[in-house]
Amino acid sequence: MAKTEVTINGTRHSVEADDDTPLLWILRDTLGLTGTKFGCGVGVCGACSVLENGEAVRSCQVPCSDLAGRTFVTIEGLSPDASHPCQKGWLEEEVVQCGFCQPGMIITACGLLKSKPNPTDADIDAAMSESVCRCGTYPRMRKAIRRAAEVMRSKGNP
Amino acid sequence: MIASRRTFLKTAALSGASLVIGIKGTRLVNAASQAAGTAFQPSSWIRIDPDGLVSLTIGRTEMGQGVRTSLAMLLAEELEADWTRIKLVQAKPSPGSDLGTGGSDSIRSGWKTLRQAGAAAREMLISAAAARWKVDRETCTASHGKVVHASSGRTLGYGELVNDAARLPVPEKPPLKAREKFNIIGRRTARIDGRDIVTGRARYGIDTKIPGMLYASLERPAWNGAKLKKMDEDGARAVNGVRSIVKLPGGGVAIVASNTWAAIKGRAALSVEWDAAAPNEAFDSDAHVKRLEAASRETGFITRKEDAPPDTGPVTKTIEAIYHYPFYAHAPVETMNCVADVRENRCTIWAPTQAPERLQRLVGELLGIPRENVEVNVTLVGGGFGRRLGVDYAVEAAAISRAAKAPVQLLWSRADDMKHGHFQAASAHYLSAGFDANNKPVAWKHTKAGSYHNISPLDPEDQRNIEWYQGWSWGCYDVPYAFPAVQTAYVAVDLPVKHGPWRAVFAPSSVFAREGFVDEVAQSLGADPLTFRLDMLKGADVIKAGDATIDRRRLRRVLQTVRQKSGWGEKLEKGRGRGVACNAYFGYTYIAYVVDVSVDQEQHVRVDRVVAAVDCGLVVNPVGVEQQMESGIIWGISSVLGGEITFKGGSAQQNSFADFAVARMRDVPPIEVHIIGADAAEPFGMGEPPVPPIVPAITNAIFAATGKRIRRLPVRPEMLAG
Repeated sequence: MAKTEVTINGTRHSVEADDDTPLLWILRDTLGLTGTKFGCGVGVCGACSVLENGEAVRSCQVPCSDLAGRTFVTIEGLSPDASHPCQKGWLEEEVVQCGFCQPGMIITACGLLKSKPNPTDADIDAAMSESVCRCGTYPRMRKAIRRAAEVMRSKGNP
Repeated sequence: MIASRRTFLKTAALSGASLVIGIKGTRLVNAASQAAGTAFQPSSWIRIDPDGLVSLTIGRTEMGQGVRTSLAMLLAEELEADWTRIKLVQAKPSPGSDLGTGGSDSIRSGWKTLRQAGAAAREMLISAAAARWKVDRETCTASHGKVVHASSGRTLGYGELVNDAARLPVPEKPPLKAREKFNIIGRRTARIDGRDIVTGRARYGIDTKIPGMLYASLERPAWNGAKLKKMDEDGARAVNGVRSIVKLPGGGVAIVASNTWAAIKGRAALSVEWDAAAPNEAFDSDAHVKRLEAASRETGFITRKEDAPPDTGPVTKTIEAIYHYPFYAHAPVETMNCVADVRENRCTIWAPTQAPERLQRLVGELLGIPRENVEVNVTLVGGGFGRRLGVDYAVEAAAISRAAKAPVQLLWSRADDMKHGHFQAASAHYLSAGFDANNKPVAWKHTKAGSYHNISPLDPEDQRNIEWYQGWSWGCYDVPYAFPAVQTAYVAVDLPVKHGPWRAVFAPSSVFAREGFVDEVAQSLGADPLTFRLDMLKGADVIKAGDATIDRRRLRRVLQTVRQKSGWGEKLEKGRGRGVACNAYFGYTYIAYVVDVSVDQEQHVRVDRVVAAVDCGLVVNPVGVEQQMESGIIWGISSVLGGEITFKGGSAQQNSFADFAVARMRDVPPIEVHIIGADAAEPFGMGEPPVPPIVPAITNAIFAATGKRIRRLPVRPEMLAG
């Protein structure tokens, strides 16, 4: 048990937790940021994805002992008003069904578009196939990502 | 804490500030006209506040099927409400309420009641405005949350009228809008919760936080009924944050902690040994499948029997086959969870559930308190698929809260969810077809060997009539094809592991077998399988099978649509195949699919394209229909190419999405959905119907590609080798 400084959505937090506590539970239980979801706890479903330096990471696999000085963005930090191109793409393509996996999916899509602003269909499939949506929103997510990529390219910012 | 509905209704009635109309069954009641002290507790109500805000209680669980949006659309259409000023409130169980969500029934049952409630409120608001203006009410109209008097150009917002309207009687038979006047029903409508979901603000069961709440993880017996043999608590007690260790009456051991991680860690540190299952109790799915297969050859309970007309030639040739359907998990991404707060003789529950009344009753029984003392808050659900008609996780949470003397959130791990589901039960299907001397198919037989659900008590034996048995074999007794002789039957086989409704309940297994075997009949005749189906749907346009009325014209039309849209009949290259299947879900929603697959040299199957036609009657929200079609198709891809649940020694063997695979984005082909028949007078459900026919459409395509008939699921490369 030690104090650790970590930055979430631009705010610095000093958190106290056991060394092996995953970031996921610090976000959800300690900081009350429940937009990041628990789906499996073993890194195979992607529901707990958050961004670090624009890359998607699985918060259930990041222990507290590795957090010091790091900076993460969760779904709550993407935009206050659903204005991020991925969120807009998701709404415009009418993606959501139950919606539970969708924060993790949107974060994963953001990670993809950071490394590949102009992704091919194969790039999209490869990046998104590491995550599970049991409702089967996959065809609409593909379209939403293509739409977001276009918007982000035309704005010239990722 | 939010005031109870009863208190709220009384307050609203006394102040006269809002217009509140309660919906109890088909009866509408003006809350303001209720005598003080009467126990008016409608399960659903609409309320219009002085600021014009419209609140609607939703008596159904939202689990991805879009029901909060589509039910709100029904109300808003008749109320002529401003769509941007509608707020949804989730209904809680109350005496006589019926809030269960299943069977693709929400739209069908809400179609009349919600529209009537909306229309009644609209008429009252118009009357109030006409009285205020002292004009003939026929000269007033309602639109976008306002009453308009066109000739004088005057308008009054609903909020300005509620005080007067609340004093008026509720019209018994308010006029409903003609469909050509619909502005909202039939329009592409975005999900009402969409923004909350994409911003992470939407609250599911798992997101419930209440003051003083502790967190629990539960170690369950390794197999149903196992007894605790040995337990060492020291390791668990040493974990930072662990508060208590609770033994449950059902045999489980719960770790209660100050945060989720401590509960998970404490459980991992707990050392427990369960009594080994006696061999006759150790359920094994391989042995069960053999029992099912033997049972499928028995006569069983006859669920439908039609003898061939006298002029039919005798059967001179018979073909037969046995189809197997495996165990599947529901595997929603949100695992089972529940917050329970037990205090003296009361309990408050927050649960992602499809069965709030069952939950209320069983928690009441567990605690020995009246069910009214159990308040059930239904949260958003991160995937239901029938799993949350079982309420085991809520009963566990209540037991833990009682023992821990604190509000507790119980969260199941992914492995818990995979191993302790209310699984889709395995079944075996014996099918045979008889041909006369001219090789004309004249007889059809389908016997399903399956298991009665054990998540709720069975009806007593003297109530088990033919309808009861038909109820366990959807897709079997309601075979739509015109064989001169038809016999269907059901055989029950004991199944000790928990099993219950899964998406489309009993239909997926029966329809897989039926549509696979119809293909075999066509094959034995050298007939085109799609043309053969159309030929077998001639004769009477409408047939009755048990309580289902099947309109063969609607089934023919979806088949003809996919034939035309898919380019059916084209020659495909080697290694590719095209298959077809169709189904009439209770005679409500009709669906046909044409599926293209390719099979590579390692015998891996890929679904390349799905062309779908759906007739679900009048379409309330086209977006919802398309989404459910895609969802059901992808569910079927998981069933054919993903994981199954197997049992050894009484326990399910699978742990996560790694060993119970479900479809990922890379597995999903282009999907083309054609909606037809939307000019119908009423709507039907869409959550389940897309599921049953997709699996046989895929397996029939695999046959077309490989010549291998698929009679077992899921399909593995070794089944296609050689």
